[in-house]
Amino acid sequence: MSIPGVMQARAMMDRRELTSSELVERCLARIGERNGELNAFVQVFGDEAREDARASDERVAAGAARGVLEGIPVALKDNIATVRGRTTCASRHLEQYRSPFDAAVVEKLKASGAIIIGKTNLDEFAMGGSGEHSAFGPTRNPFDATRVPGGSSSGSAAAVGAGMVPAALGSDTGGSIRQPAGWCGIAGCKPTYGRVSRFGLVAYASSLDQIGTMAPRAADAAAVLGVISGHDPRDSTSGPWDGGEIAAAAGSLAGVRIGIPVQAADGNSQGVSKAMAAAEDVLTAAGAKCEHVELPHAGAAIAAYYIIATAEASSNLARFDGVRYGRRAELRPGEGLMELFCRSRSEGLGAEVQKRIMLGTHVLSSGYYDAYYLTALKARRLIREDYEACFARGISAIMMPTSPGPAFVLGAKSDPLSLYLEDVYTVGVNLAGLPAVAVGCGRETMDERELPVGIQFIGPMRSESRLFGLAGAVERPAVAG
Amino acid sequence: MSSVQTGDAASATRPIATEAMRAQPITKVQLVVGLEIHVELSTLSKMFSTVGSVAHPSRFDAEPNTLIDPVTLGLPGALPVLNGAAIEASIRVGLALGCSIAPVTRWDRKSYFYPDMPKAYQISQYDRPVCFDGAVTLPPIDDAGKADFAATLGGRKIGIIRAHLEEDAGKLLHELPGGLRLDDASIVDFNRAGTPLLEIVTQPDFTTADQVVVFAQMLRDICRTLGVTEGVMQRGHMRFEPNINCMLTLADGHVVRTPVVEVKNLNSFRSVRGAIAYELANQPERWRKTGIMFAPGTKSTRGWDDVANETFEQREKEEAADYRYFPDPDLLPMTISAETVERLRTSLPELPLARRRRYISEFAMSDADAGMLTDEPAVCELFEQAMQTASAMGVPPQRAAKQAANFILQAGAKRANERTSRRAAERAEAGEDLGGSESSVTAVLVSDLGVSGTQLGGLVKLREDGAINSNAADELFGLLCEAEHHGADPATLAKARGMIVVRDDAAIDRWCDAAIAEQPQAAADVRAGKQQALGRLLGAAMKQAAGKGDAALIREAMLRKLSS
Repeated sequence: MSIPGVMQARAMMDRRELTSSELVERCLARIGERNGELNAFVQVFGDEAREDARASDERVAAGAARGVLEGIPVALKDNIATVRGRTTCASRHLEQYRSPFDAAVVEKLKASGAIIIGKTNLDEFAMGGSGEHSAFGPTRNPFDATRVPGGSSSGSAAAVGAGMVPAALGSDTGGSIRQPAGWCGIAGCKPTYGRVSRFGLVAYASSLDQIGTMAPRAADAAAVLGVISGHDPRDSTSGPWDGGEIAAAAGSLAGVRIGIPVQAADGNSQGVSKAMAAAEDVLTAAGAKCEHVELPHAGAAIAAYYIIATAEASSNLARFDGVRYGRRAELRPGEGLMELFCRSRSEGLGAEVQKRIMLGTHVLSSGYYDAYYLTALKARRLIREDYEACFARGISAIMMPTSPGPAFVLGAKSDPLSLYLEDVYTVGVNLAGLPAVAVGCGRETMDERELPVGIQFIGPMRSESRLFGLAGAVERPAVAG
Repeated sequence: MSSVQTGDAASATRPIATEAMRAQPITKVQLVVGLEIHVELSTLSKMFSTVGSVAHPSRFDAEPNTLIDPVTLGLPGALPVLNGAAIEASIRVGLALGCSIAPVTRWDRKSYFYPDMPKAYQISQYDRPVCFDGAVTLPPIDDAGKADFAATLGGRKIGIIRAHLEEDAGKLLHELPGGLRLDDASIVDFNRAGTPLLEIVTQPDFTTADQVVVFAQMLRDICRTLGVTEGVMQRGHMRFEPNINCMLTLADGHVVRTPVVEVKNLNSFRSVRGAIAYELANQPERWRKTGIMFAPGTKSTRGWDDVANETFEQREKEEAADYRYFPDPDLLPMTISAETVERLRTSLPELPLARRRRYISEFAMSDADAGMLTDEPAVCELFEQAMQTASAMGVPPQRAAKQAANFILQAGAKRANERTSRRAAERAEAGEDLGGSESSVTAVLVSDLGVSGTQLGGLVKLREDGAINSNAADELFGLLCEAEHHGADPATLAKARGMIVVRDDAAIDRWCDAAIAEQPQAAADVRAGKQQALGRLLGAAMKQAAGKGDAALIREAMLRKLSS
C-alpha cells in the first residue's frame, strides 16, 4: 500500500475523497512498515502530525484552508531547523539539540497548511553522497536494501521513493538532492541559488547550499517549491524574487534546443546510457532538438567543489565547540580549554566531517590559500561561464545523468576519491548557482534487481518552471514495493 | 587585534646586535608609535542581528546574557544580516578622518577558537576596509605636553591607514558579578558579542606620548560629536593598542631600531600615556640585554598593569596565529555609492577642533572656555542653540557668546555638579555602590538640567538689555531648571517674579537717598574722595532695590548725588 504524491493527494482532498487524517495515517503506517529496514526517518512526529491533521481537516471543513499544501504531510531533512523535535544533522554532536526557531521554509510550509510529519536521515551535516555517513546508521535504498539511496538527502529520497510521504525537503550543496532522487526514482529540484531562504538550514557550504524539494513526480516537486521559495530578509543571499511562481510548465517543445554535454556521454553505465537515449527520443518526438554542447571546464568541477565546500565547511562547523550547546566532552583532571574544544569536536563529529574540516582548514591556511582557494574560485567562474555561454547560444536547457550509474552496494566505495568522483555530474550546477531538476528515468538491472537511474535538466537562473516541464516529459517514476 | 596575517612569523630569523654595538652608549632615543583604536559604535541593535546592543545607552546595564539571540550565539541555521546604521557611522568617522571610502567593501571571516567567540570566527574586513588613506593634523604641542588648540599651523600630521568594521566578542569572566571567585570554571557573557566595532589604524607617525594622547582625545571628541559612540572609557567603548618602538642612535653614529611592542587593550588616556612612557624608558635597556632588533617576526605583545604602572610580557602563542581569512559567504560584498558618501559628507557636523578654533577666533573666547564648551557634544549643542536665539533677538555674536558661556560654565556647571553629587549620595544610600567602577554615577551635564537653548538665548538677551542683574540672572537660571518652569519664557518669568530691573529715576533716587541716610559715614567718605567706601553705599542701595536694581544705573545715580 503506497500513498499519493502531492498533486494527486491535493486533487483527492479537494474532491473530498481523502482527508488529511487519513493521509497521515497511511503515511505513518507505511513508515511503520518500512522504516526499520530503510532508516529513512530519524524522527517521526506521529502524535503531533495526527493533531495537525485533525486541525487541518477542521480548517478545510470550515472553508479556511491555508494553501496548496493544506493537510499534506511533508518530511524534512534533519539539517533544517524545527522547533518541533530535535535538529540533529545526523550528528552525535547535535543528537539532543533543540532549535528555538523554525527555518524559513518550515514557516512557509506551515503557512500553506502542510504537516511536518518527521525528519529524515542524512549524511552527517549533509557531507556525503551515499547516506552511509550518518551517526544514526546508514539509510538504505528502497529498491534494494543492500544498496545506498544516495546522499546526502538520503532519508528524504528513501522516504519518498518508498512511498512513505508525498513530499520531502532536502538540501543540495553538490548534488545532495538530485543524485539520491535519481537512485530512488523520484523527482528532485535544486533551485536557483537565492530562490529559497537558507535561514534555518544548518550550513555546510553557504555559497553552494540550497534547500530544494523531493517528490514522486516533477509536478509534485514544483508545487512544493512554489510554496517554499521567495525573498527572505533574514538571509542576505536570498534573491529579490517572489515565491509562488513555479509550475511544471511543459508548454510546446517545438524548436526547443536541449544541450547534451559531450563530457557526459562516456563512462556511463548501460542503464544510464539507455535512459539518456530514451529521454532524447521523447524530447525529439515532442519537437525539441537535442545537440551536443561543450562544457570545457567541467573537468575542474570536482576539485573546485571540494576546495570551496570544505573551506566553507571548516569555518561553518567551527561553532560546534561544546561551549554553548551540543555535546561537550567530559574533561579529565588537568585538562583545560584546548582539550574541551578538541575532545568535544573529536567525539561529537564523525570521520567524514572531520576529514572535510581538515581539508578545508588546510586549503585556507596561510601559504596555501592562493594555490587552492583562489584557484578554485577562478575555476568556479569559468565553470559558470561555460553554462552561460551555452544558454547565450540559444540552448534552453542542458540534459545529463545525475550519476554515471545506479546505486552501489553499501560499503562498496570505501575509497574517498572514487566516492567523490560520483559527484561529477552534479557539483557544477552548485558552483554556477543554477537551477536543476532531476527525475527518475528508467531502470538498470543489477544482481537481478531493478534499480532506478536519473536524469537532470539544468537551465539559466530562475528557469525552474521550464526545467520541471522538461523533466515531467521524460520522467518514469517508480515506487518501490 | 592586528589585522595582518603573520603566517611566516615563526620562521623569520631574528637579527641580533653584536656585543660591540650593545656596549656603546646610546646618544639619542627617538620614540615611534602607531596606534590601533577600537571604537564600539552605539547603534540600537547589533552589527548582524536585530537584538539590542550593549553599547547603546538604553542597554548599558543589561543583565548578563539578556542581549542574545540565535545570531549572537551562533546557533545552527542562524544567519547574519548587516546593520546599515553601523556602516553609515563608520563612513562618517572615515570622512571626519579624511579617509577615502571604498566603493565596494567586503566581509571576511577571521577564524580562531575562544569561548567568547560564538561562531569561532569573527566577521571582519581583511583587504577591503570601508575607510582607508586618511590623515588628521594635531594641534602643535609644546615640550610640556600642552596642545595649542588655537594654532592652525605647526601641528603634526598623523596618517590613517584604514578603518574597518568588525564584530566584538563576548566577555569571559572568572568571577561572578558579586565578586565570588570561580575556582574551576569560567563564565561567558554574550551581551557584548556582535557589537559593531570600528577599528582605526594609524601610521607609525607619533613621536611622543603626548601626541598619542592628544590624538586619542581628539578622536574620542570627533566620534562623540558624530554621535557614533557614547565613548564611555570605563565601559570599554574605546580601547587603544599602541605599537611602540624606538630608534636608538649609538655613539658611533649607527641607528638601531628596537622590536615593536604592541600593548593590548588600554581603556584610559592615562594608561596610554603610561604604557608609552614605560616602553620608552625600558626598550633601550631591553635591547641592550637581548640584542633583538626590529625585523618581521620580532613584534611582541604586552599587557598593562594599571596599579604598578608598567607593561608586562604576555604569554606568546607557541605558533604564529593563522586566522585563515576568507570572504564570508553569508554576506554579499557591499557597494557604497558616491551619492551615499556625498550625502554623509554634507551632513557631517562641524568637528570639535574646528569649532573650538571658531569660538576662539570669532567670539574672542579663551581657549579654556572654548575647550570646556566643546567638550560635551550635548552642552555644545545647547550653546549653539542659545547663540541662534540670541542672534535672532539682535544680540551681537561676541557679547552673546560671552553671556551664554557664562551661564553654561557658571550658573549651569554649579547646578550640574550639585545634581551629580546628589545622585551619587542617593545611590550610596540605596546601597547600590558595590565598589566596582561601573557603579560610578553618570555625571549630570548642563544640557540635562532642563534649560533649553531657546531659554538660554532668552536669558542672554535679558542680560544684554540690562533687564536683569547678575544675581537675578543666576536665580532665573535656577528657576528654569525646575520642572514647573520647563519651557517657560525667561522674560515672562522674570517679570512675574519681579526681577526686571527698575529704570525709574525716581525709584533709583529713593534707593540712593535711603542708602545715604543709612550709611552717613560712608557717604561722607566718598564725598571726601575715598572711593573705597562706595561699595558699602551701593550694597545698601541694591538691598533697598530688592533684586530690581541694576548695579550700573545705581552706581551712576549715586556718584551723581555725591558729587553734586
